[in-house]
Amino acid sequence: MKKLVVIGAGMASGRVLEHLFDADPDAYEVTLFNAEPRGNYNRIMLSPVLSGEKTYQEIVTHDDDWYRENKVTCRFGEAVTGIDRDRKVVKGANGEVAYDKLVIATGSAPFIIPVPGKDLPGVISYRDLDDTNAMIEACGKRGNAVVIGGGLLGLEAAAGLALRGMNVTVLHLMGHLMDRQLDPAAGYLLRKDLERRGITVKTQASTKAILGEEAVEGVLLDDGEVLPADLVVMAVGIRPETRLANDAHIEVNRGIDVNAQMVTSDPDIFAVGECLEFNGMLFGLVAPLYDQAKVVAAGLLDQPGEFVPKELSTKLKVTGCDLFSAGDFADGENREDIVFRDPARGVYKRLVIEDNKLVGAVMYGDTADGNWFFGLIKDGTDIDEMRETLIFGPSMQGGASVDPLSAVAALPPEAEICGCNGVCKSTIVSAIQGGATDLGAIKATTKASASCGTCTGLVEQLMEVTLGDSYAAPEATSICGCTDLSHEDVRLLIKSKELKSQAAVWQELGWKTPNGCHVCRPAVNYYLLADWPVEYQDDPQSRFINERKHANIQKDGTFSVVPRMFGGMTTPDELRAIADAADKYKVPTVHVTGGQRIDLLGVKGEDLPAIWADLNAAGMVSGHAYAKGLRTVKTCVGKDHCRFGTQDSTGLGIKLEKKLWGSWSPHKVKLAVSGCPRNCAEATCKDIGVVCVDSGYQIGVAGAAGMDVKETERLADVTTEQDAIDLATAFMQLYRENAKYLDRPYKWVAKVGLDWVKERIVDDLDERAALIERFELSQSIYRKDPWAEEAKSKADQYAPLADLTLEAAE
Amino acid sequence: MEALIETDVRTFIEVTEYWVPEGDTLVLAGGNYGDLKAFEEASRQTSFAKGEGLPGKAWAEARPVVLKGFDGSYFKRTEAAHEAGLTSAVAIPVFDGETLKSVLVVLCGDDDVRTGAIEVWKADDTLLRLDDGYYGAAKHFEFVSKHTQFPRGQGLPGGVWAAKTPILMRDLGSGYAFIRSESAGKAGLTTGLGLPIPVPGGDTFVLTLLSARGTPIARRFEIWDARAAKVGKANDAVLIDGICAREGRLWDDESPRKVSAWQGLIGRVLGTGLPVVEQTEGLAAGYDSVVALPIHSNGELAHIVAWYA
Repeated sequence: MKKLVVIGAGMASGRVLEHLFDADPDAYEVTLFNAEPRGNYNRIMLSPVLSGEKTYQEIVTHDDDWYRENKVTCRFGEAVTGIDRDRKVVKGANGEVAYDKLVIATGSAPFIIPVPGKDLPGVISYRDLDDTNAMIEACGKRGNAVVIGGGLLGLEAAAGLALRGMNVTVLHLMGHLMDRQLDPAAGYLLRKDLERRGITVKTQASTKAILGEEAVEGVLLDDGEVLPADLVVMAVGIRPETRLANDAHIEVNRGIDVNAQMVTSDPDIFAVGECLEFNGMLFGLVAPLYDQAKVVAAGLLDQPGEFVPKELSTKLKVTGCDLFSAGDFADGENREDIVFRDPARGVYKRLVIEDNKLVGAVMYGDTADGNWFFGLIKDGTDIDEMRETLIFGPSMQGGASVDPLSAVAALPPEAEICGCNGVCKSTIVSAIQGGATDLGAIKATTKASASCGTCTGLVEQLMEVTLGDSYAAPEATSICGCTDLSHEDVRLLIKSKELKSQAAVWQELGWKTPNGCHVCRPAVNYYLLADWPVEYQDDPQSRFINERKHANIQKDGTFSVVPRMFGGMTTPDELRAIADAADKYKVPTVHVTGGQRIDLLGVKGEDLPAIWADLNAAGMVSGHAYAKGLRTVKTCVGKDHCRFGTQDSTGLGIKLEKKLWGSWSPHKVKLAVSGCPRNCAEATCKDIGVVCVDSGYQIGVAGAAGMDVKETERLADVTTEQDAIDLATAFMQLYRENAKYLDRPYKWVAKVGLDWVKERIVDDLDERAALIERFELSQSIYRKDPWAEEAKSKADQYAPLADLTLEAAE
Repeated sequence: MEALIETDVRTFIEVTEYWVPEGDTLVLAGGNYGDLKAFEEASRQTSFAKGEGLPGKAWAEARPVVLKGFDGSYFKRTEAAHEAGLTSAVAIPVFDGETLKSVLVVLCGDDDVRTGAIEVWKADDTLLRLDDGYYGAAKHFEFVSKHTQFPRGQGLPGGVWAAKTPILMRDLGSGYAFIRSESAGKAGLTTGLGLPIPVPGGDTFVLTLLSARGTPIARRFEIWDARAAKVGKANDAVLIDGICAREGRLWDDESPRKVSAWQGLIGRVLGTGLPVVEQTEGLAAGYDSVVALPIHSNGELAHIVAWYA
């Protein structure tokens, strides 16, 4: 009988033996080495063992009886020290074994990130039962666990450790969890699910060091944060275990190189599983390993076989987390997305179609049709005829529509609907159930929608949800085709549902597209940064080009650069710096603007960082002439110079501009301060205009001098400069928090009414103070010169891709 | 299967019955009374209005109710229970949204030997706290449990709360960061079945059945997933977890068992949406009694848990 030696008793080699014994049980005398002191078990079920939802005994695939019945000589717990290919023997710690055929199935080794402290006791990788038992034992001692790696294995470890009572933090280097298997939307839902389990998730978190003296005590992140840790689990990836093959001079790239028959560079030696590389590919999931096992078994019996890699699908073994991913779902020019979201059930499905074929599927919360979609992907089925109903799966080819009311239905009872009067969902629903079946009755009984009216859309949707088809809400204008919700609805829902990321908005509000579009993204980006300045990170990709480039693009592709001149005041030094910059960068046009500053027109894109750096060096910052934010505060010279001046209008203008600059708003905001009613600064047609008088300051708001021309409305008269600044700031914040994106203040005030504004910032001093406080919190993030930051960190993004002029000259 | 071992000792639960609403009244729909024929007979002659007796209280208050000691209580069948040696009971309402589908009642008898736990946990904003529980002879474990709270995602109750699904845990007695775990180990409690009990209103309840090796609550446990999000809209259910003292593991990761409505007793639960409580021959693995309890959630029959003895 021929002799077969197998190194490694994992799932792949176990499947080889099953096929072999099924086909010809007497073909080989088999010796099986395993470094672990046990035979083949279902390694992918280790996570439920860790969580306590399975026992090791339940996941044993081949027990002692199986090996005995199949006459396998087991050398478990014995390391193989070498392979002598000339003599065809495998050298074990307890002696040699001759082979006719050898199968290397050494699997993979965990990748350990090379940081200080990686070898401390308490730092565990997650590959086998011993690692699992070590983690279980650590749980018995209680404490904090940090899992490095937010992939499949890391998250399963995190959920298991949490179930056993550890306080768990997951660190993931990328922007969303399981980034190789999920898109950001599904990653968002997964994160939410894990956070509901008490697990802390930190994305874009890079580990700098593992801290501790005798044992692990903490993890230091790149940003300086230290996380206490009694246990650190490294689950950042695997690499093929190739040492034996290397030592035996078998060809090895990243893994042991094999052909389609799984034969290595030595014709008598096969490799199977995670240790090998085929056509440049490595394998970590079990499905291709089992395909390989069939081929190896066939090869051992001199039968034909060929390994053909197939599409893979992924599932996560965390009880209650239903996700499925298969194929390729990266964005692409010829690709089309079909998206289904059900916020109430936490469901997200996305299909990616290319050339009438399904090429990728990501699903979260409802995975019932996952295998059907997977089949379509694997088979390359033409889906053209079922495109309309494809997302609803095989049983729903008639199709169901996304319920536009689901986001409102999913709101918790305590969610605030009417911010003006503090009315929550349950109060409104109770009123509806109590007989208030039209908007007027709701206003009368609850006061919801009775003030500024921006919650009217939501109240009407609540009536529709509660009353069913007996109520038909008037049609609201949606932001764009990505959603049925209006701007007002989205703003309110971002607040009431505490949505703090774009992914959260897309999912929880049932967006029909994966990531919004050029219409809704800038609006949502603004709403998020206005409502959650600390938690939300501004997304430059969701901004118009001018805001991305921090300059206005001109019709010839060049840019205009406008340095800020606070209150319209400048100095000879600033003027020299501007003149020098104009000379140095060959600026063709220098223009004095209506907002009292100087515009350098015709600056090349690649010169932007340098010209900014020069202007910064002269103490000047961006004038935000491109921004939906504060533009200018125009002033007259005031009482210091003008014989009619009543107050220090330039001083107030400078103070206002220094307070407000850098803040983003729904649309541009222009201010002016005139020193007397002659109004040289034209303050009565600005968004906020202050007219100084002998008795103090007249504050007007909601003026316009563009497509529409409109005089300001008097907000209040105040006696002190501080009151004027406070009112202007509070108005700005009220506008920032409530207006629809791209509504100038005059349009917004027309909708909510000046009285509503006055109630909040003139009459209610507490509310005024709170608005100012929130504005200052936001300014702690955004009152920064974008030129300075861009000039330092992103200069290369402004350089042309190639120097074509030089090439042409040559 | 180490967690479940066959013994000759009587199981922790002596009687299981379920009641269904008929108009304004709960009537007996089925039960397993073992040899306690007189108590069975007394039960058959009883019905409960909403708020009346233990099942009626679970209905009226829309919550699981634990009753330890019948004397002087609202329990209606006190005399028959005394004669049968039954001393405690737990009523578990099965709601489908606002609608009561049935009330499952389990009754136990005190002695110095039988150990186990039937616990009701109630959530506040951040923690699950023990609402009440019946522990038999596991007095120390009872004491510790009363002083234990579970955050979301931690321990069996917290895991059920976070995952919104029944969970079956194998070895409660070691490797957990809870003092309760050490006490469970000392009490011999090994296997734990936790399940969400959805009720109208906003309250969250989790029921746990903790089984000891010597006096098991059951010798076979099964969890079936019937959510459309898992199995589609065909009214099927797949076995997602299970262990059995006679057959070992019941789950199959690659090709899980599947039943359709009306196929077998799990299929009957799928078809009717009601529990099944039976004492009969021909059950799985040769057992002669079974309880299968449906869990309705989000407008559908979401899960079925079954236990056999």
